[in-house]
Amino acid sequence: MIIWISATLAIIIAITFLIYYNRFVTLSHQIDNALSQIDVQLRKRADLIPNLLSAVKGYMKHERAAIKEVTDARKAMMSAKGTEKKMKAGNQMQEALKSIFAIAEGYPDLKANTNFLQLQQELSAIEDKVAYARQFYNDGIMTYNVMTHKVPGIWFASIYGFKPKEYLKIPEAAKAVPKVEF
Amino acid sequence: MQPTRLSFHDEIKKNIFSTYLLIGIILVTLLALTYAIAFTIGGDYFFIILIIGIPISIAYIVFGFYNSHKIAIKSANAKPATGPQYRQYHNTVEGLCLASGLPKPRLYIMNNQQINAFASGRDPQHAVIAVTQGALDKLSKQELEGVLAHELSHIANYDIRFMTLTAVLVGMIAIISEIFLRSLFFSSITGSRDRESSNGVMMIIGIALAILAPIIVALVQLAISRKREYAADSSAVKFMRTPTGLIGALKKINGNSEMKMSGAVAPLFIAKPNRKKEWFSTHPPLAERIKRLEKM
Repeated sequence: MIIWISATLAIIIAITFLIYYNRFVTLSHQIDNALSQIDVQLRKRADLIPNLLSAVKGYMKHERAAIKEVTDARKAMMSAKGTEKKMKAGNQMQEALKSIFAIAEGYPDLKANTNFLQLQQELSAIEDKVAYARQFYNDGIMTYNVMTHKVPGIWFASIYGFKPKEYLKIPEAAKAVPKVEF
Repeated sequence: MQPTRLSFHDEIKKNIFSTYLLIGIILVTLLALTYAIAFTIGGDYFFIILIIGIPISIAYIVFGFYNSHKIAIKSANAKPATGPQYRQYHNTVEGLCLASGLPKPRLYIMNNQQINAFASGRDPQHAVIAVTQGALDKLSKQELEGVLAHELSHIANYDIRFMTLTAVLVGMIAIISEIFLRSLFFSSITGSRDRESSNGVMMIIGIALAILAPIIVALVQLAISRKREYAADSSAVKFMRTPTGLIGALKKINGNSEMKMSGAVAPLFIAKPNRKKEWFSTHPPLAERIKRLEKM
């Protein structure tokens, strides 16, 4: 009788260990996958930059600074290694594009150019996608972190050596509240 | 008193619980019906019905399950959304898929000026979404996003599979009741019957159940469908992190006139295509949905 009870208990404990290990592994993979989704979008955006520049060049001859900013951001993006640097380059690119589109407001001919409009639409869609991919990544981190902090997850996390992960930070500029002047 | 804000996580949990409750009611009804039939008919008839009925109903379930999205697309007369004019539609869905971690469903267009949309398929890998041309024309970018987030939620919550299965189950109960009532009628004409009076009571209960069961389960199915709409609204807010778009879209849909759509696919749409009384409706009233969204 006692043998049976202890055998059942041992099996239950073993299964619990397995379940928790697998959960941590699955969540970690989901988070890695979410990160690569962000990367895919950032790359897609970088690939569209040469097209954008060639569409804009004829109109924006005197806006060298803005154009250089975009080219630099693209270079930084292409050479960036590691999550933090990639995200930083992505944010830099977003800022540079913002100023290009703001300047484009002053060029009616450019704004009527269908090629430019299409690129603008595509780039703003990518910006939305980047935001959504970040959101999904942070959701994954939240689920993971909650599990590493809650009982009994916290015990298993320390046994298996799974550490809490960092959230992606929102770029400072995006967080700033726009100034309203009267 | 402090105003309580509904968190979307709580909403989803609450809705999932009541859905299980309702599935339980359907299953109990199905069991009671079979028991009553077994009791009243008894003997040979029952087995003949079983032998004929089981393969037919299995084939029916399998066919309905694997072809649900094709049937829905066909009956709504939807066309694949290809071409540059649908770029924004595709982009919006792709963005929401990134937010929800779902694979991208196939996208369709219905040539109709009403604002409406539906999702179908047996799982996220075989899902389809269709929107009306009117939805693309009349809704703003954010409102369209809200509608598409609602449809994607139906996919993420497995509502599309669930609604297909309940539709099949409800259909099966209707068929069983029909066969039972007809076979009773038939045997009473041939009139070879030597039963005791205690069986007579059971038979009356059986007949009553056979008549009531399809009505009960149909009402239950509609109630489930309404619950699922609230759940999908909550998940849509979870994906978008703001209810503004969906609220705007629902307000515009409120001004919709009627859309002709067969009853079978009606539960799939974001807003009920036909106007009916609340109890017989596949969707909760729009005003109530807007009110709940505004509380989030």
